[in-house]
Amino acid sequence: MRKWLALLLVVVFVFAVVGCATEDAVVDEGEDVEEVAALRVGMVTDAGTIDDKSFNQGTWEGVLLAGQDFGLETRYLKPGGTTEADYVTEIGNLVDADFKFVVCPGFKFETAIFDVQDRYPDAKFVLIDGYPHAGDWEPVVKENVVSIFFAEHESGFLGGLAAALQLQEGEVAFIGGMEIPAVQKFNWGFQQGVLYANENYSTQVVMNADNFIYQGTFDDVAAGQVLAAAMFDKGVDAIFAAAGGVGIGAINEAKARAATGQAVWIVGVDVDQYAEGIYEGDKSIILTSAMKYIDVAAYDMIKAELDGTFPGGEILMFNAANFGIGIPKENPNLDPEVEALVAEAFAALQAGTLVVSDVQGDLFK
Amino acid sequence: MVDLIYQLFPYAIAFTVPLLITSLGGLYSERSGVINIGLEGLMLMGMFVGALIISRTESIYPGTAIWIGLLAAMLFGAVFALLHAFACVTLNANQVISGIAINMIAAAVTVYLARLISGSGNIQIIRGLSRQTIPILSDIPILGRLLFTQTYATTWFVLLILVVATFLLYKTRFGLRLRACGEHPHAADSAGVNVYRMRYMAVIISGACAGLGGATFIVTISGEFNGTAAGLGFLALAALIFGQWKPWGILGAAFFFGFASTVANVSQVVPMLAQIPGIYLKTFPYVVTLAALVLSSKYSLAPKAIGEPYDKGKR
Repeated sequence: MRKWLALLLVVVFVFAVVGCATEDAVVDEGEDVEEVAALRVGMVTDAGTIDDKSFNQGTWEGVLLAGQDFGLETRYLKPGGTTEADYVTEIGNLVDADFKFVVCPGFKFETAIFDVQDRYPDAKFVLIDGYPHAGDWEPVVKENVVSIFFAEHESGFLGGLAAALQLQEGEVAFIGGMEIPAVQKFNWGFQQGVLYANENYSTQVVMNADNFIYQGTFDDVAAGQVLAAAMFDKGVDAIFAAAGGVGIGAINEAKARAATGQAVWIVGVDVDQYAEGIYEGDKSIILTSAMKYIDVAAYDMIKAELDGTFPGGEILMFNAANFGIGIPKENPNLDPEVEALVAEAFAALQAGTLVVSDVQGDLFK
Repeated sequence: MVDLIYQLFPYAIAFTVPLLITSLGGLYSERSGVINIGLEGLMLMGMFVGALIISRTESIYPGTAIWIGLLAAMLFGAVFALLHAFACVTLNANQVISGIAINMIAAAVTVYLARLISGSGNIQIIRGLSRQTIPILSDIPILGRLLFTQTYATTWFVLLILVVATFLLYKTRFGLRLRACGEHPHAADSAGVNVYRMRYMAVIISGACAGLGGATFIVTISGEFNGTAAGLGFLALAALIFGQWKPWGILGAAFFFGFASTVANVSQVVPMLAQIPGIYLKTFPYVVTLAALVLSSKYSLAPKAIGEPYDKGKR
């Protein structure tokens, strides 16, 4: 028995050691460049992993693409926690390692960026979904920082419009993660999209205030599942889930129901979630997704820096007008007529003839 | 109200089952005298192996892939638990520290392997287990709707294991010896029982059960391995203590946790419950557990020799 165990342990350890040796190659994806002065681009991840199929991954994909296109060295670091100190430490590590261009996705970086923008004046920072402040919500954007926001309300609007047009009649609901501005704007935009369809295209889609909720976390899968189940049992046909892992639970419940022949749908968020909703062959319960092109934003900022046009000190808004938001190019679950109408609305948003409000007004919370 | 309970029951049971089987694993280990706070890590291992195997085989064997995955998760859970057994039984290491080590190793190794093998820290399965309503039994008034509608096959599998495990523990020679090792290993030894072997077996069984628990969670609830067991293993441990190291006790405790968590989770969309702040509902099961533990600590039925490495020479 002992001999066997010793052998087993040896195998485990050898495996672990061999494994470690190959890890470095995974992190460094940029190619070595001849020019010494080439830009090195770093990223610090927000809560969650680099492959969260959402915020971190979107940002990283943009960074990687820029790295490939322009031959830059890229690297990401994952902080040990989600406090300001954790973020500042990792940003400092990147800057010290000569990564003078750091992308930080998430509003949680606001105070950390406020801190480092003075500490490292020769480094450039891109803050997505937030602006630097000292904790008092008073924006202080220095010359070496650009702050990027997305028009989530416009994205949610398109998602709501598409869902309502496709359903024609039925009921829709919303599950949010934490009650933070980005998620709230998705919600309010979604409601406006549904109302717009009801008014202009005579769809009959019902919304019930009880079914518009914020779960409170981005990772409680089980809660997402039972919330979605309760909503579907109440007769809801489609749920807009802007809730990270909670949304995965909702997608799962929808998949389980779709597999038994029930017609239920989920509207995805941030990225095209079609693949996540596949339950059989290539049939998916993802009706469409309300997207933010985070990768494009990260890519554009790196490109701007290389071109010498880095918009330091500015707070940028990515919206329909500059193709910062939208629904996926391909939506197998939407009829072509619906896609055409959504494209029309997108054009109207770009032209400014259609305006979506980013405040609650008389919408549900 | 009644409708709500009918509606919630299947989800409460689904949440209970992974807890129950993991807790049962803990029961075996602790009844033999080995504390197992590595349940979380063992569960995570089960989640990883289950998700990996199922995602790789489901296109080839659509229906059976899930069962292959569950079996593989049990197997790997058992093998992984060997580490714990080796440290605690053979090397006489501190059982709590070894358990913590198991949790840490599992968290690191699974994510690392997931990245290495699938290129992503998340492993998704396409089809989970489908819910089924059992024909005749579901027509029984009240109970039929509560227990036999929308059930998962794993639920019945786990309940079967519970019955067998209880029988094994209380009605067989093996069970008596195992319990004796947790109460008074020296007495067991002098009666000719190989304490080391019994403890090894108990820990291996606990690994298999926790692995199954993790994989069950994947195929019924989450559908995705994402590098964390979200504290379920610790909840199972709490159920074990709350259930006073007795099979039917842990069934009750696990169901209590399952039902309370489900109610808390769903409260936001139920107008009647939405008035109560979610934080109260969410902390309710833990507050009750704490209170119950404080009240019952005097009469705790923990195995007497729990946590003590067995040393033959000591009397």
